[in-house]
Amino acid sequence: MRILVDRVRCQNHGQCAISAPTNFELDADGELRYRESFDDEDASDIEDAVDSCPVQAITLDSDG
Amino acid sequence: MADGGRTIGVVGSGIAGLRAAKALLTCGVDAEVVIFGDEAHRTYNRPGLTKRPYPPPGAPGTAMAEDLEVAGLDDDALTWRLGTGVDTADLRDKVLHLSTGETFDYDGLVIASGVRARTSTGGSGGSHPRRTLRGLDDAQHIHDELRASGKVTIAGAGFVACELASLAGKYGCEVVMLESPRRGPFRGLLGKRISIALRRWFARHGVTFLPGDPEPSPDRSLFVEAIGSVPNTEWLRGNGLDLSDGVRVDARMRVPGHEDVFAAGDVARYPDPWAAGRLTRIELWKNAIDTGDLAGRSLAASLGRGAGKPRLGYFPNTTSEVFGLRIQVAGNPKASDAAEVVRGDPDHPDRGVLVRFLRGGVAVGVAYLDEGARFNSTYIELLRSLKADPAGAVAAG
Ligand SMILES: Cc1cc2nc3c(=O)[nH]c(=O)nc-3n(C[C@H](O)[C@H](O)[C@H](O)COP(=O)(O)OP(=O)(O)OC[C@H]3O[C@@H](n4cnc5c(N)ncnc54)[C@H](O)[C@@H]3O)c2cc1C
Ligand code: SF4
Repeated sequence: MRILVDRVRCQNHGQCAISAPTNFELDADGELRYRESFDDEDASDIEDAVDSCPVQAITLDSDG
Repeated sequence: MADGGRTIGVVGSGIAGLRAAKALLTCGVDAEVVIFGDEAHRTYNRPGLTKRPYPPPGAPGTAMAEDLEVAGLDDDALTWRLGTGVDTADLRDKVLHLSTGETFDYDGLVIASGVRARTSTGGSGGSHPRRTLRGLDDAQHIHDELRASGKVTIAGAGFVACELASLAGKYGCEVVMLESPRRGPFRGLLGKRISIALRRWFARHGVTFLPGDPEPSPDRSLFVEAIGSVPNTEWLRGNGLDLSDGVRVDARMRVPGHEDVFAAGDVARYPDPWAAGRLTRIELWKNAIDTGDLAGRSLAASLGRGAGKPRLGYFPNTTSEVFGLRIQVAGNPKASDAAEVVRGDPDHPDRGVLVRFLRGGVAVGVAYLDEGARFNSTYIELLRSLKADPAGAVAAG
């Protein structure tokens, strides 16, 4: 599974960085940075991040 | 129809109702799950109603209704009854009375009817149409007007009012906000000093503040009231439930006295996991997801399927963006009796300010405002320490 963020949708709300700081963070300008791959042990945090995004910008892609 | 012949009714087609229904199916309940919704639409992303103009810059051709669809709705095991309201419920005989005149017998019930916008007149009233913003149809109308009319007057000072002002700005509208005394932007949540700074930020972005009651302007331009919400519980009257502020439930979202009735989302008032002995009702997207999941699992467990999650492990937090300023709030600042600035200057929130809210000396909430994200990692640390210390929050409660 791979994390995908729709950059047109994303408004840098940073809710994902609260749920799953291992994969998501805001840089000093407030822009989202994220890592696509994640470990199994972080899967529930990642799901939490998907749910937390108020504009549904995050999806999980099964190839990868 | 499932072999068991059992039926479960979910009242409300919002995210809480959908997640409860999905949890029931995931747990493998042997029942037909029917979702009733008085709106004509399947579940959509409600927070998205005020987040950006349509079509959005950079994505021409994107229409709001399609853009806000929630994925994963076409599950054959779910029956949708859209455009169908539940007028009354008889919890003793387990029957719902529908707006179509039909009745619906259930074995299990999930109450997920959400809230509606509060109005100052309790309805239409007055010579000029007042709009409110809760549903997709409301939002479609408001977006169309903003695109066309060039001016909007907004009554209210909370999240929805402020996001709407910012949205109208993106459409290039003239924005007027009506202020009743002591009610600047976010004042009720973040206190006077930050509210005054926010008012300045809004004014700098072209918002005009006028004193006054929620009275429409005489020029007949768009007028929107965003002055809070009212839980949709009238349909449950006559069943002896505590409906004083939404529907009261226990820590597993069960309605006391009714083995087979659960509630979730904006309408549910449940024991606050972070303040012993207190009840809380939270109007946030993630709360609706988590309480919806929990209600579905608890109902499944009562039917002998799956296991109910013991409690919510979630901490309320949200983000809003107004005129380029990110406003993040976690915990319950409203419960505080004092506030301390951790970083930055509350008079200049655009340069970053981080505030901790205390009650009896213990942190109960955090707020972070910034145009960039200078103190974001500190905000997340503070939020985590709030989360890791429910004992502190309990002691403070
Ligand atoms: C403009 C706006 C912006 C928001 N932004 C954010 C945000 O950025 N972040 C955040 O966390 N939260 C935000 N929220 C709050 C969030 O949208 C809600 O917390 C969430 O949608 C609640 O979901 P729910 O399923 O409990 O209720 P609802 O979404 O209200 O769903 C309830 C449904 O039940 C229907 N219904 C009611 N009574 C009946 C009946 N008797 N019979 C049949 N159907 C009935 C209603 O019409 C509605 O469709 C926002 C809300 C609004 C209005
Ligand atoms: S929560 Fe959503 S909008 Fe916010 S930064 Fe993450 S992906 Fe972007």
